[in-house]
Amino acid sequence: MTIRLSGLAKEFGDFTAVHPLDLTIPEGSFFALLGASGCGKTTTLRMIAGLEEPTAGSVLLGDDDITALPPHRRPVNTVFQNYALFPHLDVHDNVAFGLRRRGIRSVRKQVDEMLELVELGGMARRRPRQLSGGQQQRVALARALINQPRVLLLDEPLGALDLKLRRQMQLELKRIQTEIGITFVHVTHDQEEAMTMADTVAVMRGGRVEQLAAPAELYENPRTAFVANFLGTSNLLTARVTAADADELRLDASGSPLRLPAARGNGVATDPGGQLLVGVRPEKITVTHGADADGVAAGRNRLDGRIRDASYLGVSTQYLVDTPACPAFAVYRQNTDPDPRLVPGADVVLHWDPAHTFGLDAAQDADAGTGEDAT
Amino acid sequence: MTAVVTPGAPAAPPGTPGAERPPGRRPRRRLTPYWLLLPAALWLAVFFVAPLVYQASTSVQTGSLEEGYRVTWHFATYGEVLERYGEHFLRSFGYAAAATALCLLIGYPLAYMIAFRAGRWRNVLLVMVIAPFFTSFLIRTLAWKTILSDGGPVVGALDVLHVLDVTSRLGLTSDDRVLATPLAVVCGLTYNFLPFMILPLYGSLERIDPSLHEAARDLYATPATTFRKVTFPLSLPGVVAGTLLTFIPASGDYINAQLLGSPNTQMVGNAIQKQFLNVLDYPTAAAMSFVLMALILVAVTVYMRRAGTEELV
Repeated sequence: MTIRLSGLAKEFGDFTAVHPLDLTIPEGSFFALLGASGCGKTTTLRMIAGLEEPTAGSVLLGDDDITALPPHRRPVNTVFQNYALFPHLDVHDNVAFGLRRRGIRSVRKQVDEMLELVELGGMARRRPRQLSGGQQQRVALARALINQPRVLLLDEPLGALDLKLRRQMQLELKRIQTEIGITFVHVTHDQEEAMTMADTVAVMRGGRVEQLAAPAELYENPRTAFVANFLGTSNLLTARVTAADADELRLDASGSPLRLPAARGNGVATDPGGQLLVGVRPEKITVTHGADADGVAAGRNRLDGRIRDASYLGVSTQYLVDTPACPAFAVYRQNTDPDPRLVPGADVVLHWDPAHTFGLDAAQDADAGTGEDAT
Repeated sequence: MTAVVTPGAPAAPPGTPGAERPPGRRPRRRLTPYWLLLPAALWLAVFFVAPLVYQASTSVQTGSLEEGYRVTWHFATYGEVLERYGEHFLRSFGYAAAATALCLLIGYPLAYMIAFRAGRWRNVLLVMVIAPFFTSFLIRTLAWKTILSDGGPVVGALDVLHVLDVTSRLGLTSDDRVLATPLAVVCGLTYNFLPFMILPLYGSLERIDPSLHEAARDLYATPATTFRKVTFPLSLPGVVAGTLLTFIPASGDYINAQLLGSPNTQMVGNAIQKQFLNVLDYPTAAAMSFVLMALILVAVTVYMRRAGTEELV
């Protein structure tokens, strides 16, 4: 069922957790609210669940305004961050809790089926604390799903699991969502989790939605420096517009000419002389040793530089390259045919297809979304 | 009471895990738990077990104060005690049960409020709960004598509100007085033991993760159902601990009956005190103490079985 948030806002005293927010979550979608802690994503989720009362605005489920409904009368269920399983009830009674509250007497068959779905068949009589983290997580999921909610809300559901289990549960959640086809709203601070699972991601920051798009679109064409840095890594450098036509901007970055397709400029300053931030992802860049610089195809964006640092990561090697335009340019190079000359101190040429360049408004902090901001 | 709580030897079977340790370090490691038990064990041996044995021997003595008492294995004293003081025992347990029930009724909402709603006032309220302990038990009970005095504002108000009519009909008060009636004794017991109910209740309520309430609300439980199905079951350890800490000392108490009651409201504690200190009939007093202890032990065992709290942490 479609969820529509209109002007939804929440203030705690002087602190605005969520600025008036308009958001439509289409029926059957896997929607992720992504952001660092304190960005308002959990508050937004809790307002949909009814656990937090909005200061302003409304929550619509389909055509029904549910803003004033208490949580127990909303057809949505939540998987809580710490699972919040009832410690005094066994797995069966935990899962049956919602059905029983709605006066359904014979729950055995439904509970068994649901436990099968989450692969906990023989665990019905165990107590929550006798289960591993991953099993508890699946009980929490079963306990919510058995009620056939119109919308399932997931609050950092995988946060407490170790990396391997988290990967496995990501796929599992995605499978279950595809199987039953209800709307999932998933809150997470893990950009990889959001990208793997969701069809639409809303990146939140400081109580506002920074950008809303499909994962690939977010990654390939971030619209703000925060999104560029928060999702993966970006190299951002300041450049000046030298010429512009309908298809392309010509730029100058500390003496190096660069090209940017007009469509990827996010509508920022296109007048010659204007400043903008130019970005490119590290894996789009090819690093070529200075001795082979003549072999670099014409028409590619190129920067000269010197390798400062190289870290071997197995699949790839990560280089930090100092260029006049930008110190510590990050570049990933696949280890398919290693070049032994690419060591710290070597002069190199960095070059990439201009189509992979994106432009951002220069009036923002190029480091937003990195470091402590991106916990 | 102490006998119920005192743990025996450490629960883990000694020896089995030690088998893999190097032989040189084994004895010391295995003895550590016993060293830790030693101070408490010594204390209990000197101040609990020894007096208990002495008292047991006293209870089967015969004789008189002038000629001295000798152990004659006279178990008949126990029968006499039950016959003569049955009423006192019943009264003790009745008053203690009433006071425990009142403590639970008054204490649970308060503990709930402190645990979930008090916010920054939490510590202030907790200090206020234990504040009465800064004054002596005796003084506080004497203060109740003034509060409930005949013709005082409390009695006057209860009279105007016709509460006294109801309590008279229930046999709790008589002659438009509160003092020297069962009601006064129960009130005194309730007041004096209330903190022992509130603190364990608060302890178990405070440990409940608030997200469990939210989970219950999210799963279609009304606030009332959330309390019935989640909060209350999870607070049961506190309820059990609180009722035991209230009921056990209340049933052996004699100060409240002494100061607030009348000869008709004497509890078994008063009878024991009289036998020991006034009549100087030590065997009877000792036998009464043992009967009281045994009855409490049985009551507590039955209660713990029924409450089935082993499954709860």
